[in-house]
Amino acid sequence: MPAMVQFVCFFLLPLCLCIFASMTDWNVLVKNKNFIGLGNFVELFGDSKFWIAARNTIYMLLPIPFYMVFGLLFALACHKEIKGNKVFRILYYLPYVSSIVALVLLWKWLFNSEFGLVNQALGLLGIEGPNWLGDPVWTKRMIVIMIAWKMIGITSIYFLAALKNVPSTYYEAATIDGAGAFMRFFKITMPMITPITFYLFCINIIGSLQTFIEVDLFTTDGGRNYGVATVIYYIWQKAFNYSQMGYACAAAVVFGLMILLVTLLQFKLSNKWVYEGD
Amino acid sequence: MKLNIGRKVIRALIFFILITGAMTMVVPFLWMLSTSLKESNLVYQIPPQWIPRPVDWGNYVELFTKSNILSGIKNSVIVSACVLLFGTFSTSLSAFAFAKLDVPYKNVLFFCVLSSMMIPFVVLLVPQYIIFTRIKWINTLLPLIIPSSLGNVSMMFFLRQYIGGLPTELLEAAKIDGCGYFRIYYKIFLPLCKPALISNIIMVFMGTWNDYLGPMIFVNDSQKYTLQVVIKMLNSYHETQTDVPLIMAASLIAILPILILFISAQKYFVDSMAITGLKG
Repeated sequence: MPAMVQFVCFFLLPLCLCIFASMTDWNVLVKNKNFIGLGNFVELFGDSKFWIAARNTIYMLLPIPFYMVFGLLFALACHKEIKGNKVFRILYYLPYVSSIVALVLLWKWLFNSEFGLVNQALGLLGIEGPNWLGDPVWTKRMIVIMIAWKMIGITSIYFLAALKNVPSTYYEAATIDGAGAFMRFFKITMPMITPITFYLFCINIIGSLQTFIEVDLFTTDGGRNYGVATVIYYIWQKAFNYSQMGYACAAAVVFGLMILLVTLLQFKLSNKWVYEGD
Repeated sequence: MKLNIGRKVIRALIFFILITGAMTMVVPFLWMLSTSLKESNLVYQIPPQWIPRPVDWGNYVELFTKSNILSGIKNSVIVSACVLLFGTFSTSLSAFAFAKLDVPYKNVLFFCVLSSMMIPFVVLLVPQYIIFTRIKWINTLLPLIIPSSLGNVSMMFFLRQYIGGLPTELLEAAKIDGCGYFRIYYKIFLPLCKPALISNIIMVFMGTWNDYLGPMIFVNDSQKYTLQVVIKMLNSYHETQTDVPLIMAASLIAILPILILFISAQKYFVDSMAITGLKG
């Protein structure tokens, strides 16, 4: 079965290789490969760049609540029978289907500090726009805005699908019992969409922690003072710019374990608030 | 009567929210289109011109004659076509096997395959690079084609669920009639999965066409660049004297195929999102 071939060749084999390589000082350029035990891990935890990258990675979680809330809002709005809601759905989807390279180039232009549309609009409001692309703090914020913008549409599609699955009899029963719109929302809608919310949280947190392409495209060398770099960017740089394969593998293993931990934690917490169905 | 007015206000409010949202989504793209049709000196005009005068198609002409965007498009098409053709075949075949056939240790195997979705891609990236170097696949399109052609885990998961929902009696009846497993798959289950297949094909195409990471890492030869990398390179090449209209034109070309596909197959797309999302 081809799926198994793929699994073994491109997943299991690399995974083992990675764990093995993480304990060597493998460098492609000088072609040495010695077993050094946990040396890489010690070096990794002593590297200040790694910690900066780790902090930036956590920063990338910021857009999640934002687009989850707006996604839900749009989904609720689309759920109502309103003229043209099909058209809206297509429009919301646009950023998500577009290629990230094209989007980044577009954003570079939009957020150009002198001629960009965004700063001109801010100028009309009497605010002097920041130097989005030059200042790492603002670049980070810009990436957050961009991710939120990109993800609203897809999130709302998921929510919309979940909303459609709530049986309308529940609402009818509640209305007969005299529940108001707010009551209905908090007592029926919210619990019924917790599974999808949980799913989105899981997927999005894992996705956000792996933010990489934006960093690579918006900055050179992770921005000034490494201010925008994420962990993945760090690993990528070590592996493909400095050819320290062993070291990069060690970092990747640490990062992989962290993500696993986060995921497990989420599943542990999930039975506190996710409605499992009847 | 009072209730009616309240309702109308709420409707108007909702409509307003939707419009604002839609504007936020679309305006950047319109700006992209508008910029791509401008002459270079008009780009830096303040306040900006929304409808360029004169409309200048020169950027597109320049793009196709002076850059290697054509080879980029060619490579992207090759990769996407191969992945779609072979990937869909192998994925649907394994999905069929996992859903309907009695394979020893089926569930264990399936769990193994699924678990590969949980591992962050970066853990696999470096060793994959090393493996591809060893088997001399670097600087060819093979690393982009072969792994994905062997199947796509999320798509397989989705199809397995879908096929699992189809009646097993079909399989038994066909077996009694003397049908081989492959023919059962090909003649009976494949046609039944058509809607699920179409939406998945769109998703896979989107992923492959927009992929930037793979081509960037595995391909260093400018003749082998896919479209996304070509555009990225175009940008760094012009970094010093940024030719914004040219870059916007290139970006537009990069998203155009997806856009057309997406709008024409919108129904399948949204449905597939809905189903995969809920199952996952």
